[in-house]
Amino acid sequence: MSSLQPNFIVIDDSRLDCFISEKIIRNSGNSGSVRSFTEASEALQFIKDAPIIEHPKTVILLDIQMPVMSGFDFAEAFEQLNEDKKSDYIIFMVSSSTNESDRIRIGNYPSIRCLYKKPLNKEIINELIDQVFIAG
Amino acid sequence: MNKPEKIKVLYVDDELNNLMGFKASFRVNYNILIAQNNEEALEHLKNHPDIRVIFSDQRMPDKTGVEFFEQIRGTYPKPIRILITGYTDVEAVINAINLGNVFRYVKKPWSEADILTAINEANKFYVANMLMETKNAELQIAYDELDKFAYSVTHDMRNPLLSILGAVELSREIDDISEIREMLHLIKESVGNLDAYIQNIHDYYNVNRGQLEISEIDFKDIVEEQLETHRLTAKMKQVNFNTRIVQNETFRGDAMSMKIILNNLLSNAFKYQKKERTDKNVELDIVVDAGELTMLIKDNGIGISGNHIGDIFNMFFRATSQDVGSGFGLYNVKDALLKLNGEIKVDSVINEGTTFTVKVRNK
Repeated sequence: MSSLQPNFIVIDDSRLDCFISEKIIRNSGNSGSVRSFTEASEALQFIKDAPIIEHPKTVILLDIQMPVMSGFDFAEAFEQLNEDKKSDYIIFMVSSSTNESDRIRIGNYPSIRCLYKKPLNKEIINELIDQVFIAG
Repeated sequence: MNKPEKIKVLYVDDELNNLMGFKASFRVNYNILIAQNNEEALEHLKNHPDIRVIFSDQRMPDKTGVEFFEQIRGTYPKPIRILITGYTDVEAVINAINLGNVFRYVKKPWSEADILTAINEANKFYVANMLMETKNAELQIAYDELDKFAYSVTHDMRNPLLSILGAVELSREIDDISEIREMLHLIKESVGNLDAYIQNIHDYYNVNRGQLEISEIDFKDIVEEQLETHRLTAKMKQVNFNTRIVQNETFRGDAMSMKIILNNLLSNAFKYQKKERTDKNVELDIVVDAGELTMLIKDNGIGISGNHIGDIFNMFFRATSQDVGSGFGLYNVKDALLKLNGEIKVDSVINEGTTFTVKVRNK
């Protein structure tokens, strides 16, 4: 077992969803810090300003439907970042509605790992963390 | 008296005599355009998109009538095509129907009565087609809205419910009462969100499917109701709410639409305040004068950025994440005003505030 624990960034316009995600992540006991943003643009700025992370990757939980900057708008902007920056993060999308067109659209963004259905739970979070270490 | 505009008819024939005869016979009742060859005909079609009926002779040197119709069918689908041909051209007639998709054919030499009947029938067909096209466009809009609607309903209605469900699940693992309280507060916010969304759907239905009910409106009553609705929000958010009514004459209009318009604009004015401002202010100014209602809804809140202002009336568009919103409110406002033949104008400066001006004529 690695003693390293990934940090998390939660991006969701619902404050309740941010709260729940934070709690579940913390309760999993396998995570580092958790930060949440109700505006995707603020999260993007935070990532741009963040220092280089060595290991492990930081996990981004990204809601799809958000006003101003949607999950896909965020992904679009994220893909423009330089490779070093991108490689510090691993993105999982979350949504209450998992329709086929969203699933297909995710394929256009190499930085997005996959789509999870809300509500999140402990099992999903642990699965995510496993994926971080498989991804390296 | 305004005469209805003459129907435009194009006649294509390589014999100048035929063209002249045609024009002389029908120019009184119709706007006749003539072409002696393919090129001239195409020129007319380009310059007159409102040509309704095209007659073409079958036997022409550059192209047969059928070939001509086949050629223009894709680019100019609207005009109704009629072939003029002699009895012996059975093959041409069959081709005309199969390839050129002609409406009918007139035998040569034509009689005036034949042509008149043909134009009349073709025109009826043209009008019916146009009507269908308009209806189809309306249907397409309705379908597109329904699509957006279905997508949004699954998200905007399910999301708060799933959040609440998640919170309930989570609460089983939390012992700290202050954390539970915080969560309950957020749950309340989600419930409020969902309720507002459902209220907006209700408004949408009222605006879209309901009939206008014109009655005399006393704006004192309307404003009284709005004051009552927003009193608590104003107090909680510490926003000054000033209203002014100048009603010089009786106003006839649809009270339900007025309520939807005012309620949405005022809700927004209260919602999108600058948190750090100490002189938060919302003003409602209503003037009924000279057969027109003018309502000013003014706030000194966060404002709307220039690149969003064109989109704010679109269904499900949201320009900010500040506070809860369904992206439905201003769409309903615009829709209600469309029904009332009213207009809305927005002036906004980011960080300084927004003013909506609504104008509706007295019915």
